[in-house]
Amino acid sequence: MRARLTGFSPLSFALDSELSFTYNVSMADEQKDEKLRSRIRDISFFYHTKGRMPSFSEIGELTGLQSKNAVSKLVDKLDSLKVVGKDAKGRLIPRSIASPVRILGSVEAGFPSPAEEELADTLSLDDFLIENPDATFLLKVSGDSMSEAGILPGDMVIVDKGQTPKSGDIVIAEVDGQWTMKYLRKRGESVTLIPANPKYKPIKPKNELKIAGVVTAVVRKYK
Amino acid sequence: MSSEFITLHSWPRAILHLDADAFFASCEQAIHPELKGKPVITGKERGIVAAASYEAKARGVTRGVRLSDVKKICPDAVILPSDYETYSLFSLRMFAIIRRFTPDVEEYSIDEAFADLTGLRRNFHGPYSMIARKMQETVEKELGITVSIGVSLSKVLAKAGSKHKKPSGITMMPGREIHHYLGKLPIESVWGIGPNTAAFLRKFGINTAFDFARKDETFVAKHLSKPYHEVWHELNGRSVYPVMTESKSSYQSISKTRTFTPPSKDEPFVLAQLSKNLENACIKARRYNLAATRLIVFLRKQDFTDSGAELKLTCPTAHPSALFNLLREGFDHIFRSNTLYRQTGVVLAGLIAEASVQYTLFDDTAQIEKMSKVYDAVDILSEKFGKYTVRHAVSLPTKIQSQHEGERGDVPQRKQELFKGENNRQRLGLPVLNVMV
Repeated sequence: MRARLTGFSPLSFALDSELSFTYNVSMADEQKDEKLRSRIRDISFFYHTKGRMPSFSEIGELTGLQSKNAVSKLVDKLDSLKVVGKDAKGRLIPRSIASPVRILGSVEAGFPSPAEEELADTLSLDDFLIENPDATFLLKVSGDSMSEAGILPGDMVIVDKGQTPKSGDIVIAEVDGQWTMKYLRKRGESVTLIPANPKYKPIKPKNELKIAGVVTAVVRKYK
Repeated sequence: MSSEFITLHSWPRAILHLDADAFFASCEQAIHPELKGKPVITGKERGIVAAASYEAKARGVTRGVRLSDVKKICPDAVILPSDYETYSLFSLRMFAIIRRFTPDVEEYSIDEAFADLTGLRRNFHGPYSMIARKMQETVEKELGITVSIGVSLSKVLAKAGSKHKKPSGITMMPGREIHHYLGKLPIESVWGIGPNTAAFLRKFGINTAFDFARKDETFVAKHLSKPYHEVWHELNGRSVYPVMTESKSSYQSISKTRTFTPPSKDEPFVLAQLSKNLENACIKARRYNLAATRLIVFLRKQDFTDSGAELKLTCPTAHPSALFNLLREGFDHIFRSNTLYRQTGVVLAGLIAEASVQYTLFDDTAQIEKMSKVYDAVDILSEKFGKYTVRHAVSLPTKIQSQHEGERGDVPQRKQELFKGENNRQRLGLPVLNVMV
């Protein structure tokens, strides 16, 4: 993905004096242009990776066009835009497609935004907070035993049931029939639950300890 | 007789059927861990048992029993209102977990799925039974609910397998062992064979699934129709029903019903309930690009007797505005004053693809075109701001009285205790654990 976009930077656009830009295009035209542009990109990608022009049927596969007639119309359009040409036998020859900057220029409506490229590498807040979406639950905190860890009553914590709890994790656990949220500390065979508030004492399970999940994040919304 | 092999091939195909155990009640126990091991019942808002946990089933509670009777047989039962939002989230996650094992998954119902495991043994370095066990363990670990699994050569056999041992069971039925299970399976318990067909088959001395599977093909072809012929093949370990991996994209009919408590004899209110059903059914029809050719309306009285009317549409549609006159006509035909009603329902039937609708010379296509645009906008608004952002005025009286009032009017906890930023219509799409920490 990266490789095919190089050479499309706004700088190289600005320097190319042969380019003509159309600015005020209507929405419908813009959509049409975008479609055509993506088709040119596909053909150009094929040309640059394979080192040859695609056949008509290959263009059909690349663009999703079902009939040869539709492909032929597309080729004629690209011919008129001087993107590709045809030789005496009707086979395709690359024209401006050989130098990617020009192709884009002839149909481009405005500068491509540098943001577009960068946005592919961003995370949504969902993906950032939730690692394992099938095993993640929400929980509203009621007590203050983890206040020094920054988890206050009324906060929402995100609990992952899919993770194996490790020493140092904040866990939701059932100790001898009581539910609690504490730091988990494992020392050899012994397991202790440590609060993050000096008001409370560490808990050593007497009979049973069940860990329901690992706290992976806390969310506090102010407004 | 039962010692005869059905087939000697152990695993020509490996079809898995997964069935969640007491699904709704199990979901409640998963988000309310203190309820584990206790008799839990859902359906409080309906007045009858929608689902009962295994602890409640052990006390004799079954689906559909009135809650007043439940209090007699199981006084310590915890009765909760249905929280379909949470159940749906659990359902989606369950299917997602199964898809980690194989891409060929059929979402058969909210709590059941078929999956094709054929050929996956090498990939998982182990037998099919191990894949089934891993799947069961993952669901239990990540969702906190138990499921029962059957694996065999066809869907009908796999479904018999998942029922064989519940809860939390795994039943493997390789080809050479099918006959052990079928010999004990009464014919009416076979998926696809109803009470009438079962009674018919008993007249030929067929009492178990094994008896049926052993009949020769000429008998089956002579006495039974195609669907039963297919079941016969499936019982013999020849898979004919494919695992349908695509989610349901079409319907024959769409029905929407709503119960309200207390019952009402108020004409505008009952009509509003009915029209709200119509709006809902139409929303679903539009989502699948379908148009109805018939409209069925029915009302259920307090004494559980039904009256209904079926109406034929002159022009197929999924626009409530084009259906209100007919709805009113049907309603006037069946509504009796001074009668208490508890439920209303609407069925859109004879559904056809919207694209194939042909208009007649007398249809006002300009008007239809206009209404299409209006409903497109309504659908977009609903998607953006939540359901019922825009609705027809005739449905408004449903807002005067909440759907269920009084003791039974309980709303699930998820809808009562909102996080900052959530509202009545839209909440975060994650289940909430209800423990005090």
